[in-house]
Amino acid sequence: MEELKKNLKEQIIERLNLEDVQPADINDNDPLFGGDLALDSIDALELIVLFENYYGLKITDPEKGKKVFESINTMADYISKNN
Amino acid sequence: MNFITTYCHISEDHCAVNGEVLLTNESENSWIRTLYDHFKIDYSKFHKMDLMSKIGVIGSEILKSQNGKIVDYDDDEIALVFANKNSSANTDVKFQQSFKENGSPSPALFVYTLPNIVLGEIAIKNKWYGENIFVVSENFDPEFYENYCNILIPSKAMACACGWVNVLNDSIEAFFFFVEKEASTEDSLPLTSNNLLNLRKA
Repeated sequence: MEELKKNLKEQIIERLNLEDVQPADINDNDPLFGGDLALDSIDALELIVLFENYYGLKITDPEKGKKVFESINTMADYISKNN
Repeated sequence: MNFITTYCHISEDHCAVNGEVLLTNESENSWIRTLYDHFKIDYSKFHKMDLMSKIGVIGSEILKSQNGKIVDYDDDEIALVFANKNSSANTDVKFQQSFKENGSPSPALFVYTLPNIVLGEIAIKNKWYGENIFVVSENFDPEFYENYCNILIPSKAMACACGWVNVLNDSIEAFFFFVEKEASTEDSLPLTSNNLLNLRKA
C-alpha cells in the first residue's frame, strides 16, 4: 500500500506538471481539491486519465469521483479494492 | 510623458532588478523554486502553471517588491501589455508530446497552449483587471510598448505592467517594466523607445 501511495504521488506530480512539488510535500490524508495543491476541474480530468492509463480503472460517476479523488489515501484504497 | 518606474530581467541563469544582478542559478533546487522562495511567493496555484506563466507571475511580484505604489492602484487601473516571439511554443511542444508518448492529451497542459494565458495568471494573482494585450512579434519592439502605453494612460489605465516573456526549449528571456504617469521612484526614466532598448540590454 505504501508503494502504491508513493507511485500515486509521483504520477500526480508528473501528470499535473507539478514540477516544483516533491512527493514528500503531499500528505496521504491531505485533500487534493481545496487544499495546498489547489487542484481544480482540469486536474480532475487528469486524475481520471491517470486512473485509466496506469490502473485500467474508469471513473464515470462524478459523485464517485469526488470521493475517490479526495486524498492519496482514498485513491490508493479504491485502486487496491478494484484492481 | 509617462515613466518607466522599475524593471527587471529573468533568464535561465540569473535574475536582475533595476539593472543589478540579484540572484544567479547556483542552487541545487530548481531555478524557478529558488525564485519562488526568494520572492516569498505563497501561491499554491503557481506550481501548476507552465513555465511562461510562472515567469510572468514572478516578474509581477518583483515589480511590486520594487515599487510600493503599485499595490495602491485600483483593480482596473493597471493594464497588462505583453509580447514575445515564440508564442506558447514551449508548452505546445510538451502538449504534443503528452499525447504522442502517453497516449492521451494532457488537459493540464492544454490550458496553457495560448500565450495570453500568462496575462490571465498575472491578473488573477494580482487582481489586475484592467485592459490587457499580448502580441506575438519577431523581435522586441520598443515602439509597440511606447505607443500602446501612451494610448492607454491615462484614458484607459493609470499604469501599465509590461513584459517581453519568451520561453523556448525551457530557455528563458524575460524583461518586465512598470509604466506610470509620474516618476514615482528615484530611478524613473521617461518612457521612450531608446530607454526601453537600453534597459532591455542592461
